[in-house]
Amino acid sequence: MRPVLLGSMSPESLMEELQAAPSRALAARRLSELGMPTRKSEAYRYFEIDPLMDHDWERVEISATSEIEETQRRIVITDGVVTALPADVEVQVGCSDAIDLDGAHFDPLYYLGHLMSREVISLRFRKDARVTIVHRCTQPAKLLAYRTAIYVDANVHVQISERYEGENACGALILSGHDAFVSRDATLTLVKDQTLRIGDYTPIFSHRIKVDSQASCRLHSFDFGAGSGLQLIKAELHEHARIDADHLLYAKDHARRGTVSQIVHIGQSSVSNQRAKNILVEKARGIFDALIKVEHSGKETKAHQNSKAILLNDGAYMASKPQLEIYIDDLEASHGSTTGQLDEAQLFYLRSRGIAKDEARKMLILAFANELIDALEDDALREDLHRSFEEAYWGTTNVTCMETCHGCEDLAAETAAK
Amino acid sequence: MSRVVMDIDNLHARIGGKEILKGLNLQLEEGKVHAIMGPNGAGKSTLSKAITGHYDIEVLDGEIRYKGQNIVDWEPEDRALEGIFLSFQNPVEVPGVNNAYFLRTAVNAKRKHQGLPELNAAEFLREMKKLVQELGMKPEMISRSLNEGFSGGEKKRNEILQMMMLQPDVIILDEIDSGLDIDALRAVSEGINKMKDGKRSFLVITHYSRILDYIEPDYIHVLKDGKIIKTAGPELVAELEEKGYGAIEEA
Ligand SMILES: Nc1ncnc2c1ncn2[C@@H]1O[C@H](COP(=O)(O)OP(=O)(O)OP(=O)(O)O)[C@@H](O)[C@H]1O
Ligand SMILES: [Mg+2]
Repeated sequence: MRPVLLGSMSPESLMEELQAAPSRALAARRLSELGMPTRKSEAYRYFEIDPLMDHDWERVEISATSEIEETQRRIVITDGVVTALPADVEVQVGCSDAIDLDGAHFDPLYYLGHLMSREVISLRFRKDARVTIVHRCTQPAKLLAYRTAIYVDANVHVQISERYEGENACGALILSGHDAFVSRDATLTLVKDQTLRIGDYTPIFSHRIKVDSQASCRLHSFDFGAGSGLQLIKAELHEHARIDADHLLYAKDHARRGTVSQIVHIGQSSVSNQRAKNILVEKARGIFDALIKVEHSGKETKAHQNSKAILLNDGAYMASKPQLEIYIDDLEASHGSTTGQLDEAQLFYLRSRGIAKDEARKMLILAFANELIDALEDDALREDLHRSFEEAYWGTTNVTCMETCHGCEDLAAETAAK
Repeated sequence: MSRVVMDIDNLHARIGGKEILKGLNLQLEEGKVHAIMGPNGAGKSTLSKAITGHYDIEVLDGEIRYKGQNIVDWEPEDRALEGIFLSFQNPVEVPGVNNAYFLRTAVNAKRKHQGLPELNAAEFLREMKKLVQELGMKPEMISRSLNEGFSGGEKKRNEILQMMMLQPDVIILDEIDSGLDIDALRAVSEGINKMKDGKRSFLVITHYSRILDYIEPDYIHVLKDGKIIKTAGPELVAELEEKGYGAIEEA
């Protein structure tokens, strides 16, 4: 299948060509309105999408659900199929072809992903929970499309951490993502470590997050990956809803990775706070193309957005486009973007105390990244990500307690005092 | 005269394309306290930057001989490891770098350079806590980010803390006394006096005589327009206070 050929089809022929479920009629209509992405598409203007759309992909067949393993706190999705479920977490997992699609998503591949997924893996949380989702891909050089829907019921507080493994999936294209529904007064904390631990494929994660009245969503994405990859996020905020989105990117070599997002304030007194930090090495290109839109109805909202990038080599490049689109004047908003090198004065200060240049650079880079890693409330996840970042940056990890944990210092000092 | 530990000879240095040090000569003696006074913009901080290898400085001519070697081409960290320490006029803030972690890294880099075993976290913190208390610093300074959000006085005390932990041989204090309240000035001066051991040398850059009452300099040098134009004993301070720097030039 060459996605580019779908670009000019009518909704009816799209449905037929992709053998889509009847409930996907809206997706077909929207995809045919938006057209397939090209380098001229808004959403993909900094990403090299053409070769992927022009490629003749063999699709991964989604097999019927096989045997499901029991785990502790982990949901494993292998090649688009749930293969393991936690025995100890209350989550209702199912497959369904019914899905309440976002009729105004900006990303054509959100709709293509839905058209290609006959069923959606749905996770419904009726009680507070903490769970890890592991995504595994094992099919090299193929196109895999699958979608997940996350429902967090009213007043429920859920933390999901996600990891990705591409065991043998070199050269694959993955179209996936969540439709997340955070109901009234609920909280969803989504910690995505997009770094691929094994293998190499191109992920395009296209998410839609609906945050209901007085609900809140914390999204922490970490991407220390190689190659190409993009996450596209559309979030809508209702009355008194809140989203805090942090994105930490470390990219090297010829990587082209980043975030394209739209946060839409629909309800009044909603709050959004988006922070991106990007560290780019060698010839890497980082993308932060993010729009915050405040509708007429979004009175008294607060919208803050900031992107910072450090370029460690001349060849590195950051495409940073924070934007605000505002239809009212009764709000508090800010946005900013900085791109630069490591601070020379800081570097000199450390070196003037006898710390070698490489070590001093490393300390400053970690310090830059730490702000977003330290924002994680879960101690174990924070440690994991410190380690993951160190491994990506340094090749090995030598995180010691003192770097990450202030509690230990006091403990050490108390022991010493005795 | 005691042994010379640092000999600055005919130093010409440029900063931002402009020649600021214009043939400066200065000898620091072992175990002595040298004070440098001089008008704003004379080049005092520039001198301290030239000695420590700051990236803004371009040395055009002359030498800085330290322990017998010309160090003008040395990396800043090598100068530090060999015992040169600068307490900055305006210490930078380094958000995200934990103060204790930073200082332990520096102390252990120095110990490694000296062939000593590294200090573990507990040993290090015992020492750091003791000094933090002596300097009248809040204990929370230990775990905060390096200088981030520190008040002017807290930054200066943190510089002195680093000095005391690193035990350098040549100590440059660039306006350590500016912005300090009376108690802080006393605590900082006591810290400095405690470091005097008859071998260490001090270069104290200041505009005020008050700190000199505490730390009793052996020599006063007047730096003006990129040169040392006069060197005398401590009695020069009173004369400067009375007549200003203009009179010195005429002398
Ligand atoms: N980075 C720079 N670029 C250009 N000029 C500089 C730079 N740094 C310092 N200068 C200039 O060099 C001259 C000497 O500055 P320096 O900081 O050494 O003075 P100082 O004697 O320490 O003065 P103060 O008593 O005010 O601290 C000043 O005229 C200053 O403006
Ligand atoms: Mg100065």
